[in-house]
Amino acid sequence: MNTRVAEPPKPGSDHDGLLVTNMRKAFFPGTPNEVVALDRVDLLVHPGDFVTIIGSNGAGKSTLLNAIAGTFPVDRGSIVIAGRNVTREAEHTRARLVGRVFQDPRAGTAPSMSIEENLSMAMLRGQRRGLRRGVNGNRRREIQDQLGLLGMSLEGRVSAEVAKLSGGQRQAVSLLMATIAEPRLLLLDEHTAALDPKVAQTIMDLTGKIVMERRLTTLMVTHNMELALRWGNRLVMMHQGRIVLDVGQKDKSGLKVADLVAKFHEVAGESLVVDRMLLD
Amino acid sequence: MTGILTSGLEQGLVFSFMVLGVFVTFRVLDFPDLTVDGSIVTGAAVTAMALTNGWSPALATATGTLAGFAAGTVTGILHVLLKSGSDATNYGPKLLAGILTMTGLYSLNLRIMGLGTSATARSNVPLLGEPTLIESIENLLSIELTTWRLIAALAILALVIKLVLDWFLHTEVGLAMQATGDNEQMIKALGVNTTVVRIAGLGLANALVALSGALVAQTQGFADIGMGIGTIVAGLAGVIIGEVLFGSRSVTWVLFSVIGGSVVYRLLIAGALRVEQIDPTDLRLLTAILVVIALATPTVRRKVVRM
Repeated sequence: MNTRVAEPPKPGSDHDGLLVTNMRKAFFPGTPNEVVALDRVDLLVHPGDFVTIIGSNGAGKSTLLNAIAGTFPVDRGSIVIAGRNVTREAEHTRARLVGRVFQDPRAGTAPSMSIEENLSMAMLRGQRRGLRRGVNGNRRREIQDQLGLLGMSLEGRVSAEVAKLSGGQRQAVSLLMATIAEPRLLLLDEHTAALDPKVAQTIMDLTGKIVMERRLTTLMVTHNMELALRWGNRLVMMHQGRIVLDVGQKDKSGLKVADLVAKFHEVAGESLVVDRMLLD
Repeated sequence: MTGILTSGLEQGLVFSFMVLGVFVTFRVLDFPDLTVDGSIVTGAAVTAMALTNGWSPALATATGTLAGFAAGTVTGILHVLLKSGSDATNYGPKLLAGILTMTGLYSLNLRIMGLGTSATARSNVPLLGEPTLIESIENLLSIELTTWRLIAALAILALVIKLVLDWFLHTEVGLAMQATGDNEQMIKALGVNTTVVRIAGLGLANALVALSGALVAQTQGFADIGMGIGTIVAGLAGVIIGEVLFGSRSVTWVLFSVIGGSVVYRLLIAGALRVEQIDPTDLRLLTAILVVIALATPTVRRKVVRM
């Protein structure tokens, strides 16, 4: 097995990445239904790394992202983001460090509010909110500039209700909302899986562009092995709550889907799950 | 006929603050808050007691309004204690929190009205002979507030409150409050403590409701324990009538709409009271039927179109 155990953060730039140490999370603990969703997970992500995470259903991919974002407390282990130990911080407290995009385009936006209101709220990520006007001239200009980068002609519709947008447009706005305040960590949870292939391609290209331009430290969960190989500079495979494979840029560039399947057989020995992954 | 018009306008404006409060809970926070049946009486009772103890009408009204704010925050805190998990669409704990506060307020309101009297509790405080906000305005402007002048004064107050609420809902905090009702998970992920925002929002809404209570007491000349019954349904009627008749295209616009809805609702009630067969005791049944019709119309229309 090629499990790499995270070493302690090196002095200097590594301090700004993500360090997960010996993390464990069980659901329904102490009941017959107990599920260990994460078990002894160690993960060191260097600043600017773009890590893709694959694994079958129930492997713990989304649970890992939720644990890092603070959706629930973990049972054991620690989470350090940008040098800050956030293990015991509430979700809304660590939100200033973490931007997220979910699979459901509806999850990341407030539907009955306008595009500019949504983005203005996102620009204040983790900041103290006061009685200043939410959408002001400066913010509106910045929002229009940023929307222009999407190439979806949304910059002329800033006061439109988000509910009126298509799924792809909504996901593009969600992506912008997650990144506009330049979080220290970007978590993408199958954020193109619910879109049709062409739109998914557009959103993925935008994601790559934004992540590169802003050098965002990124974790991207996906079912799609092609995507996982094409994007990012590191690939992690999870199985039954553990990290079972961790490939860096050099080894990753030579990998093919077939290699991943073989690797998966090796660690999991379950052909059925792999078929499910290939189908996606 | 003018009687219907003036009493409808006056009542509609007096209760418009309550309707704005119900709008804040139902529409902005997505929190069907039943506290209002109690907090409107709290506003009236506190204001009436302050007036009978010689407080200035402005200070008495402000104190009554603040008491409503406190009542709303209690509901918000109870909701935190009662809910399990973070399912924003689970209305059970929200309804129960409001019901509990409303029930507790019933006893508290009786106690408030008994303060400083030989009785421990009272169900009624008369304000005969006490200077009210109406006299304060008359003294300030050296005019007599005739029926139409009173309506104009109430309309100005409604406009001011509307503008302040509109301004607030578009501030950074106000947007976060709107988002708490619209997509709580998302605004939480942007670093907002939605628990605190919801508690503050419930306080704000019930402050508006209590302001109506304070004005009702001063315009009708007494505070009464029974005045709160059915407030939530009347508030909902105002919100829905306003949205249906005047539209809800933006927050700025819909705040006007619900004030209009409040006035239309009270005009309908004033009109209904002129019908000989209708007794004032029938009004709550009529209001309930009105809300059902307004809410069911879109559904029925959709079904009819499909047939």
